[in-house]
Amino acid sequence: MDIPTETPASSSSSSDGKEERYLVLIEFAYRHLDFQIAEIESVLDMHGIQLGSPDCRVYPLPGQDETGRTTPASSNPELRRPYLILSFPAKDASKLSDNSNSVDRWGLVTRATNENASIAEILSRCTLVKTIVELWGASTSSLDTCAKECGEWIKNTKVGQSIFANVAGEQESWKLTVHTLGTKYTREEQAEMRDKFSYLGFQGPVQMKEPNHEYVLIREVEMDGKGSPLHPRHGIDKNVIPEHDKLPPLGLYFGRLLGGKSKKGRGGLEQYNLKNRVYLGPTSMDAELSFVMTNYGQVQKGSVVFDPFVGTGSILLSCALRGAYCMGSDIDIRVLKGRNKEETIWKNFDQYHLRRPELLRTDNAIYHRHFRRHQPLYDAIVCDPPYGIRAGARKTGSRKDTPRPILEEHRHDHIAQTKPYPVSDVMSDLLDVAARTLVMSGRLVYVIPSFHEFDPHTDLPRHECLKLVHSCYQPLQAELGRRIVVMKKIKDYDFSKRDHYMSNIWVNGTESAEKCANLRDKILEAAKQKPDYERKAAVRRQKRKVLKEEKKAAKKKKKKRLGEDNDEVEETQS
Amino acid sequence: MRLLTHNYLISNVKGTKEGYPLQIEAEEVVIEDSPFDQELVTGILPKLNYEAVIGALHQVADKVEPKPADIPEKLPEGEIDTATLEALYHVLFNIHVIEGHLVCPDTGRKFPIKQGIPNMILHEDEI
Repeated sequence: MDIPTETPASSSSSSDGKEERYLVLIEFAYRHLDFQIAEIESVLDMHGIQLGSPDCRVYPLPGQDETGRTTPASSNPELRRPYLILSFPAKDASKLSDNSNSVDRWGLVTRATNENASIAEILSRCTLVKTIVELWGASTSSLDTCAKECGEWIKNTKVGQSIFANVAGEQESWKLTVHTLGTKYTREEQAEMRDKFSYLGFQGPVQMKEPNHEYVLIREVEMDGKGSPLHPRHGIDKNVIPEHDKLPPLGLYFGRLLGGKSKKGRGGLEQYNLKNRVYLGPTSMDAELSFVMTNYGQVQKGSVVFDPFVGTGSILLSCALRGAYCMGSDIDIRVLKGRNKEETIWKNFDQYHLRRPELLRTDNAIYHRHFRRHQPLYDAIVCDPPYGIRAGARKTGSRKDTPRPILEEHRHDHIAQTKPYPVSDVMSDLLDVAARTLVMSGRLVYVIPSFHEFDPHTDLPRHECLKLVHSCYQPLQAELGRRIVVMKKIKDYDFSKRDHYMSNIWVNGTESAEKCANLRDKILEAAKQKPDYERKAAVRRQKRKVLKEEKKAAKKKKKKRLGEDNDEVEETQS
Repeated sequence: MRLLTHNYLISNVKGTKEGYPLQIEAEEVVIEDSPFDQELVTGILPKLNYEAVIGALHQVADKVEPKPADIPEKLPEGEIDTATLEALYHVLFNIHVIEGHLVCPDTGRKFPIKQGIPNMILHEDEI
């Protein structure tokens, strides 16, 4: 989603008579880059703050122009910087800047009723946010300009004056931390960097452990795709690489820390890691991504959440951790019941002392035949529909046109037949159920695989009652990725218009849906197009053959040995 | 299966007129306490078929130990006091039917509940 960037000239926090703004710098974890802004936007929206409105605009990063491009052109045109500056009206500064009780206290369960929430409290739900900093000054060129900007902010702006008066007094202990994004500087070099800011004049004592205020100096450098510096300062031999050391930073930031996750273990989320669950399946959603999905769905305490393709319940587990009441259904009874008494969806919930989810075996293709026509009930529908990559979709019904009748005496134990469920129907049924059952402004969040030929503008399904809010892309392999799509209910569902709704789901016909179906075959096809495929495939075939023969030989040997043992036994017996 | 879920389920076999409310034939019922959630219960009350809640409670009553606090026979209008909300929350969210059947009032078709999961799937000749 494109959010217009503020023009700094019109609103910078200077004393030229223009409106003053309060700037907040957000540092993201260097993961899921395309999901970050959407997460912030969804969470701000929960608190009635519209990103892009005068109440909260995006302010360009140092070196960025209005289009969000970093100039001078970096070596990487696709450069993604894990930072975002938000600009708020100066009048909100005192409310937003409160950091008295939010540092290191990341909330999972929140409810957006607190009108006086600080920005750190609001954003503490964001899975991908690392730190939140009240920005005093920023620069592209040098520490001196950055320090000078801070000084001007403190002296010349009303916001700066009043905040500085509150935080720099004799009673206020403080420390200054230097963040260098994986670039190493010696203690002396860091001290030199800190010294540039000493003229600001903090009166209180320096205190390393739990000071009243922590200031941060961030030196942003260009990152490679994996979150390490693109031009590392030190080589493998641990010596400084002079030509890399010379490179200017992308940005320098100085400010007061408002909130942040502790460095150890992603703010406590690691306890929800998949590997700590007792019950898992091949399509379980990873914990971090499902937490992001709960934010897209604006799931909070008291929400009612439904997952029509619940599987092992991994998405609902994250929703329950947010305090929601969860309902999940699936057509596959085996996955609902679990592997055995100890490995079930419920055990996963018990592990974290959560209210058990409600599980049902129903078929989403005929939702209206399982549930009475009820008032919109769900605040969010969050799911990972079956696309047939790892688990194929099924719906009730016989593959034959005229099913054989079931004898009455067999009916009790009869296992109902299921038949394949085309992806185009999976999607249109999902959207229709969402349109019908979501409360107004309730959200549908779903995952959809995305092959290179998939165009989100024309290929995503639509519904008159649902508005597309986000579609975020995560690359997985060269040509394959997945998208998280977020839709919001904007219109009451009119039952008399169902046929009209259903026939308008696919703009370009159901071929769109086929683009995300049967991806296993398509991935194979794509691999075949690559040069040298035949030769590599032959090598792999040969390897497999050898392996198979080895196994066969081993089995034969074992059998023979067993046979001999048996003979011996027989001999002794006779 | 909670009594809340029962409130929404219908029978869907061919030949059913309304298929609602389903009759509960409970064999095993457990109470699992969970913290009272006022936002949740006040949000859900107007969306219930309250008569069906009362009916369902009567059907499982003899299997529920300990006996739940009384809930009003008719949903009170206007603001509801906390004690009543807590009682309603308990009935809707903490009573689980673990084993038993849901029976269609029109056709008598039985939908099994096993391990707390109602199986509403239709056989191929019932669609």
